[in-house]
Amino acid sequence: MICLVLALLIVMNRMTALQKEVDFVSQHDLEVHDLANQIQKNMLDMETGMRGYVITGDEQYLEPYNQANRSWLDNYNKLHSLLAKNGSQQRTLEEMKPLIINWVSNYGEAAIQQKKAGNIAALNKQFNNHKEEKVMEQLRTQFTSFLTKEKKLTNERINELRQNNTNLKITLYALVVVVTVITLATAFFLSHSIVNTIREVVKTIHSITESKVDLTTRIHVKTKDETRELAEAMNSLLSSLEKQSWIQKSVTEISLIYQGITDVTELSRAFLTKLAPMLEAVYGVVYLRKDQDDDTVYVKAAGYALADDQTAASFRLGEGVIGQAAADKRIFLIDQLPEEHFKMTTGLGASSPRNLLVAPILYDGRVEAVVEFAALQPFQSQHLTLLDVLQDKFGSAITSVLGRMEVERLLGESQVLTEELQTQSEELQAQSEELQMQQDQLQTTNEFLAMEKQSAEQRAVELKKAKDELEEYSRKLQESSQYKSDFLANMSHELRTPLNSIIILSQMLMENDGEMDMDEVKESARVVHTAGGDLLRMIDDILDLSKIEAGKIEILTDEVNVTELPQMLQNMFDPVAAKKNLAFEVVTAPDVPDVIATDGQRLQQILKNLLSNAFKFTEKGSVTVRIELAEPEKTAEYLGTNRREPVLAISVTDTGIGIPHDKQEIIFDAFQQVDGTTNRQYGGTGLGLSICREFTHLLGGALTVESEPGEGSTFTLYIPSRLESEKPELLAREEVAVSLSEPVEQEEVPPLEDTSSDEQIFKGKKVLLVEDDGRNVFALVTALEKKGVAVQVAENGKVAVDMLQEQGDFDLVFMDIMMPVMGGYEAMKLIREELGMHELPIIALTAKGMKGERDKCMDAGASDYIMKPFNINQLFSLMRVWLTEQVESE
Amino acid sequence: MSFEEETETTPLNELEQIEINLLLEGLYQKYGYDFRSYVRTSLSRRIIHRMRAERLPTITALLEKILHDPAYLERLLNDLSIRMTEMYRDPSFFAAFRNEVVPLLRDLPEIRIWHAGCATGEEVYSMAILIQEEGLAEKTKIYATDINEKALRSARKGAFPLEKMQQYTKNYLRAGGKKAFSEYYTTDHQFAYFHPIMEDNLTFAQHNLVTDGSFNEFHVILCRNVMIYFNNDLQQKVHRLLYNSLADGGFVGLGSKESILFMPPGLDYEEFNATERIYQKRK
Repeated sequence: MICLVLALLIVMNRMTALQKEVDFVSQHDLEVHDLANQIQKNMLDMETGMRGYVITGDEQYLEPYNQANRSWLDNYNKLHSLLAKNGSQQRTLEEMKPLIINWVSNYGEAAIQQKKAGNIAALNKQFNNHKEEKVMEQLRTQFTSFLTKEKKLTNERINELRQNNTNLKITLYALVVVVTVITLATAFFLSHSIVNTIREVVKTIHSITESKVDLTTRIHVKTKDETRELAEAMNSLLSSLEKQSWIQKSVTEISLIYQGITDVTELSRAFLTKLAPMLEAVYGVVYLRKDQDDDTVYVKAAGYALADDQTAASFRLGEGVIGQAAADKRIFLIDQLPEEHFKMTTGLGASSPRNLLVAPILYDGRVEAVVEFAALQPFQSQHLTLLDVLQDKFGSAITSVLGRMEVERLLGESQVLTEELQTQSEELQAQSEELQMQQDQLQTTNEFLAMEKQSAEQRAVELKKAKDELEEYSRKLQESSQYKSDFLANMSHELRTPLNSIIILSQMLMENDGEMDMDEVKESARVVHTAGGDLLRMIDDILDLSKIEAGKIEILTDEVNVTELPQMLQNMFDPVAAKKNLAFEVVTAPDVPDVIATDGQRLQQILKNLLSNAFKFTEKGSVTVRIELAEPEKTAEYLGTNRREPVLAISVTDTGIGIPHDKQEIIFDAFQQVDGTTNRQYGGTGLGLSICREFTHLLGGALTVESEPGEGSTFTLYIPSRLESEKPELLAREEVAVSLSEPVEQEEVPPLEDTSSDEQIFKGKKVLLVEDDGRNVFALVTALEKKGVAVQVAENGKVAVDMLQEQGDFDLVFMDIMMPVMGGYEAMKLIREELGMHELPIIALTAKGMKGERDKCMDAGASDYIMKPFNINQLFSLMRVWLTEQVESE
Repeated sequence: MSFEEETETTPLNELEQIEINLLLEGLYQKYGYDFRSYVRTSLSRRIIHRMRAERLPTITALLEKILHDPAYLERLLNDLSIRMTEMYRDPSFFAAFRNEVVPLLRDLPEIRIWHAGCATGEEVYSMAILIQEEGLAEKTKIYATDINEKALRSARKGAFPLEKMQQYTKNYLRAGGKKAFSEYYTTDHQFAYFHPIMEDNLTFAQHNLVTDGSFNEFHVILCRNVMIYFNNDLQQKVHRLLYNSLADGGFVGLGSKESILFMPPGLDYEEFNATERIYQKRK
């Protein structure tokens, strides 16, 4: 190394010297040459300038001359000083100086002066003698020799430089070679030593890699240098990595077990099963946090290698080491446990683990669980690290599994509810559908039945009609035979009377032997005539009547001009009125239609009959005919409702003898007059009113009478116009379909109760047990309270009723039957009837084998019954039924 | 006019009638389910209900789904064949059966009972309990059939919701049940499970009254509130089927609103108990 530095220094020194020499040569020599040339040029300038001036006289040529004249000495001096180290050259230069001065002063200046003076001759002389040229020549020669010499000097110096340079090169090459050799030797030695160690390390690393990352392999180095340190660092890295990798691996393995686990207990068990061997623990237990009301309790969820009774079931926060670990949120590591703390049992014997590890599982700052492990040997740092890492993972797994369990529970619940809703809606639909269908069916049946009924009714009506008709017939038959006999009797009487007079009178006239005078004969003949006329009228009337009754009278409906009626009547009866000295008038109301449709001839006949009667029975006063429109109520009364055509009311009023009230009905019967004597008094067949009434009926009208004996009578004839159909037109009744009320759709879905657990059916329900047998009470109360049911006991029916009266919020009553004071039947009756609790489920407890008890129970109002002795599951089954809120059915 | 705007009560327009016809025809041709002879009003209501539940715009769209997706078929079938039933429905019927019919069955060497259209089986279990109480369980075989497979599955389980059990209890008692009803079931928080009653002699099977024929000769046939969904022709057809499946002197029980007025002529029934719709085939 030192040699190298020395060599380098020498070379450097040499290089500096060489550089200096080169500088000298290049600077000094160049300057020397330059200055020599400068002086030479100055001389040349002076000569040229002098000559130019001399020849031309132009002062311009003097300028270079003067210039050169001024500068040459400077140049000379510079050169002189430069050549200080070179004596021979300096001397040569000094030799040239007087020559120059000589030339300048003797020739140059002189020539110029002479020129200026215009001394051409002198000039010519001067030039002609060539002395000046010789000086100049001499100068040139000297300059040339100077320059030559200087060039030679320069060349010498360059050669010297070359030599020096070559020397230096050789030195350098030698140096390089030496240094290279030394370096190579050193490098080879060093690298050999380093590579070997590194190879070892690399080999070890390779072997680690090849052996699937076996971090247990260590590098073994024999040297004691940095490489060893490297290897040791590597080894410690490996140890750390091994630990890390173990933790990582364990975490991964444990993380894997979380997958697919949906139950937190199962998760805890899997966690323990996996983790315990990793921690080399022989026992393990997991306590999970459970919030009970306001209390936080850690409940044992899973154990590892534990019998169930070996551990405490739960700890409250702060209770025991478990509780304390949860409260402090820190790991408890306990070693050197006393032997009796805990025994590990194997098939062969038992020993005591001496090390205990209690670690809280934190998640989100909350202790989700506490794990406890026991091991035979002390726990190591990586175990703690692993637990530390797992804390969060296990905590989050617990939370997520719990969350998932909750979600699944809710999902299940909602699924159940959805299905229930679905089912109920389907049922509702089916129900309403079936109701609808039943309704339809019922309607069809009803329609069918209605039809049947209708036809039956129709048949009945027809039968009734037929019967009525038959009765009518028989009545009529009877009547008609009566009628006939009456008629015949009457007719024979009526006929006999005039006939009798005719026969007697005619016989008297026949046997007349002159003893009768003419007046008597005339009188007799007049009576016979009258009687014959009466007979004839009577026969006509009888014919009419029989025709009517035989239905042989044809009604010819035609337009009858009502306005013509009064005149016609007046014409007909004015003479009669005048004869009897009676007032007769026909009054027509203004709103009477001009024309009605009816049978005019029959109408006339009726009116004629009525008026004849009126005049016949009236001795003094008046007979009045009124033609007017019938009042609707009268029409309705006599002709039935719904008459739309106009109805005329023609009344004939007289001031005659009148008709007694009891006779007013019979006057229309044939051959009836108010009394037999009247016949004689007033004559007539007694058929007139009968015929009137018959005709009136034929015309669709009615005939009424109002009369007061002694004051007169009023016969009123109601005659409808028969232009339109005779029968009243039925109002086209709109068939109002009976709107069958649609079955009320049960829109409202009954509130869905939470049936997710059995507990919810029983818990918090209030049950009244009415029972006098202490043993039964005890058994039932115990069983029911186990289910979370609140039981109250009444020792007899009386007490039960009182209790129910006081507190009406019982969900269910169990009722014994045979009790003192008040038995079950009576109590149930009271509860149902007196207290009005119809919906409260009452379950009768009956003794088996007592026949009829069931019916008595039901009659008393029990909802259900159960026979003693019963099995408790049956009781619970029954209770589930009666404690479950029912869907409304129908 | 859109279909959604129509209310339940709106009578079907002509187009919808055609669509329903096509749907029923498609259902029959593709799957063999014959609802063509069901009462149209009810069918229409149920089909339209299904159409709306599936959020389909038209019945034709429903048909398209049904022909190509069996899931739709099952839901529609369920809709079409769902029926309402309860245990001891019309308790007086069961009381009459117990008091009047059972004594006549007692002497038979074997009793075969057919529940035609048993739906979810409530009546079947009711009958089974009754038969057991009358001591006839040993020699009685009950056949319960329905068209609806889902209903049958439910019927086989014999589990009925607690929410209805109070009514069933009342019905049972009114129908003259001889024991405490709770002796026949166990419960959990949701259902009452009827003990295996007459398990060996109780058979559930699918049977279509419309298309399937008689499969045995029975002494009692219950076909209650089934035929009200059928049109008159189909009712007559089913009546004939029931009549032909009935032994001489056998009994048929109908729903409380059904009558034999619509029976086809020639079925020789005696009105055994007309109020409870129990008829006896003349010998």
